[in-house]
Amino acid sequence: MSFTDADLIARVLSREDHNAFGELVRRYQSPVRAFLARMTRGDSHLADDLAQETFLKAWQKLRTFRGTAKFSTWLFGIAFNEFRGVARKRKELALDDVENLLEEPATTGNPQLRLDLTEALKLLNSNERAAVVLCCQNGLSHEEAAQVLSCPLGTVKTNVLRGKEKLKRRLASPCENYESA
Amino acid sequence: MNPPETDDSMDALLRGQNQYVEDNDFTARVMAALPRRRDRFWLRQIILLGATIICSVLAVLWLPLKNLPPLDWSALLSLNSQVLLPWTLVIAVATSLIWGIIAAVQLED
Repeated sequence: MSFTDADLIARVLSREDHNAFGELVRRYQSPVRAFLARMTRGDSHLADDLAQETFLKAWQKLRTFRGTAKFSTWLFGIAFNEFRGVARKRKELALDDVENLLEEPATTGNPQLRLDLTEALKLLNSNERAAVVLCCQNGLSHEEAAQVLSCPLGTVKTNVLRGKEKLKRRLASPCENYESA
Repeated sequence: MNPPETDDSMDALLRGQNQYVEDNDFTARVMAALPRRRDRFWLRQIILLGATIICSVLAVLWLPLKNLPPLDWSALLSLNSQVLLPWTLVIAVATSLIWGIIAAVQLED
């Protein structure tokens, strides 16, 4: 028998049912860890630490989940806040200065050598990366992504468009500049 | 979902890269790190049990168990307060006790 998220949440809240919470963690560990791995630019250890912290916060704050959004959206919100907290302390995670590099398409180097998508994603700034990963990879609507990222809807749309545009440009250009960056 | 006009080749490429992350004991680590709430759990149990015992004692002391009028359906239906009131009290106390016991059993699950 398969329980819905709402059933599991109700069991956690009414009985502090660890098994029910374990099922929620099993269901959402993959998207949350993948999202945080993207956000930490491939640092899987840090991503897993943040994911663990995300689920611990979810356990503590589950009573504040009102059910107006999807549980996954609520989890992504906690995960993004966790990432933002660490990114403030670790400047290399924010990597917003890379944006300048992306504005100028590289014209030199081996044309056969192309950035793959994973590498190209790392070069977006954190807001664009979050918007692209949430909307394009995880299928969140722009409204849901705006909730997760606590920013206006228009900003999410802009970040998705800008991020995808940069990805397209970078995937079509040589990567020599980034290897030296 | 996002509007279809955004569903271009880049979306398809990004979705293709969204692979399942194997659990590899991640869930077990999270569950092991969950803060225990046993203190609060036991406090609730003790309060519930204490309330049940106190109510039982009060019920035995205060309810007119020895002077209960015979349970006569015609008297009950006539809404005679001398019959209705003692039986209403008995039923209310019995219901509360059963409810308390069921709640305690459910918490132990």
